[in-house]
Amino acid sequence: MVQDLLHSQPGILNFGIFFILALVLLLVILGFVTYAILAERKVMGFMQLRYGPNQVGGPWGLLQTVADVLKLLLKEDTIPKLADRPLFILAPVIAFAPSFVVIATIPFTDKLQFADIGVGLLYYIAISGLTTIGVVMAGWSSNNKYALLGGMRAAAQMISYEIPLVMSVLGVILLTGSMNLNEIVAAQENVWYILIQPIGFLVFFIASVAELNRIPFDLPEAENELIAGYFVEYSGFRWAFFMLAEYVYMFAMASLTTVLFLGGWLPIFSFLDFIPGAVWFALKFSLVVFMLLWFRSTFPRIKADQLMEFGWKVLLPVALANIFLTAIIKELLSLF
Amino acid sequence: MTFSGELLAFLILAIVAVMGGVLLLNLSKVVHMVVALVFTFVSLAGIYVMLSAEFVAVVQILIYSGAITIIMLFGIMLTRHNDTSEVKGGRLRKVLLFLGVLGFAFAVYIGIYNLDFNSPAANLHENNTEQIGIALYTKFIIPFELTSVVLLVALIGAIILAKKDDEEEAKKE
Repeated sequence: MVQDLLHSQPGILNFGIFFILALVLLLVILGFVTYAILAERKVMGFMQLRYGPNQVGGPWGLLQTVADVLKLLLKEDTIPKLADRPLFILAPVIAFAPSFVVIATIPFTDKLQFADIGVGLLYYIAISGLTTIGVVMAGWSSNNKYALLGGMRAAAQMISYEIPLVMSVLGVILLTGSMNLNEIVAAQENVWYILIQPIGFLVFFIASVAELNRIPFDLPEAENELIAGYFVEYSGFRWAFFMLAEYVYMFAMASLTTVLFLGGWLPIFSFLDFIPGAVWFALKFSLVVFMLLWFRSTFPRIKADQLMEFGWKVLLPVALANIFLTAIIKELLSLF
Repeated sequence: MTFSGELLAFLILAIVAVMGGVLLLNLSKVVHMVVALVFTFVSLAGIYVMLSAEFVAVVQILIYSGAITIIMLFGIMLTRHNDTSEVKGGRLRKVLLFLGVLGFAFAVYIGIYNLDFNSPAANLHENNTEQIGIALYTKFIIPFELTSVVLLVALIGAIILAKKDDEEEAKKE
């Protein structure tokens, strides 16, 4: 259905249909974010031998996040007197918009995708870099030294971890011969890339956790050193936008990991293909999200100098070696 | 020229790009200028997409989002928080500048209006990345490799310059 739409003649009707579809996607993602936050608190609770939320909305705390969001929206919207007003207001928008825009290229199943572009993978990485600008803007415009430090850290971290992230997926691109996410999934018909590219997957996963600013790499918002990093001065729905951007990125990054290394919507064994692709995608996606939550509750935060050293002296050389190895193996295989 | 969605998209992107450039020159705070630059670069990427150069568009955003963040950091670190640039020059200078800009715009207009690119290739949008890759690694391999050598030299030079400073400072202490 979406494929027909993508190839149809552009017009007002077409635009309207896409607009409504995007709106539906936004609602789905908001639903995901609501329950991802609940899941995060529950999983962390169980791992730390606590119950987690268990009052609002039944014993599982199903309405806890909804209540939290309502509270956030009712909060007073404060802007510091000495803050740079236009940038302070613009920053959450610039931080959030790219997180939703990147989802357009991700193929959820073979039929459900919003844009099928040739450079899908690069598009994701390029657009997600724009969020950094919003974060630095937020840090600077707040006129607060903790916020500025958080913004600086975010910039340094995102730039140094974007390079290993790109380098680690080059192996996948080499083996597929395309940057189109549909073709990458199709190339995993027999074996998933996590088995052919284990080093690439490891580097990608570590770098993606760093790009998501999650523990153990959550230096930009380290609450016990910087209070809350770049969004100290924000409150109410502007603050909610930063949080939303973070969780939407979690959704997008988990989807991208699934597509690149876990075979997207393809079943584990081909005799299991009576189960629809969407279910497979959801299962793998939930696994990746669970891994992220698991990381958060089990790892300590690392220091800023260790973070930089690890990125440039360990991840980058390993990723480069992985490209070299992949190229050699590909050439050797094509000889025979 | 007929009115179409393409023209509309081009007009919006072009206006945002030009406005970004003008704001870059006219705003007084460094960080504001850099934000104006972001709008210019992103709308240029949009124009590349309209020219079916999706690879160039994506690379434009990939490179410049990092570069702009760095410029912003330098702007923050090298200036004070409330620094603003001062307006210099009198009326005569403004008039001369305006005449210069008009002359330049006229020259560009004359140059572009009758420019003929003898029918652009129709298959540019198919496998865009692959076509660029093949062209770079067959026809333009020597300039491409030379560029990479120049970049490498610049990189090593920067590292050496930065390192020397450290040692000299250590000696002074």
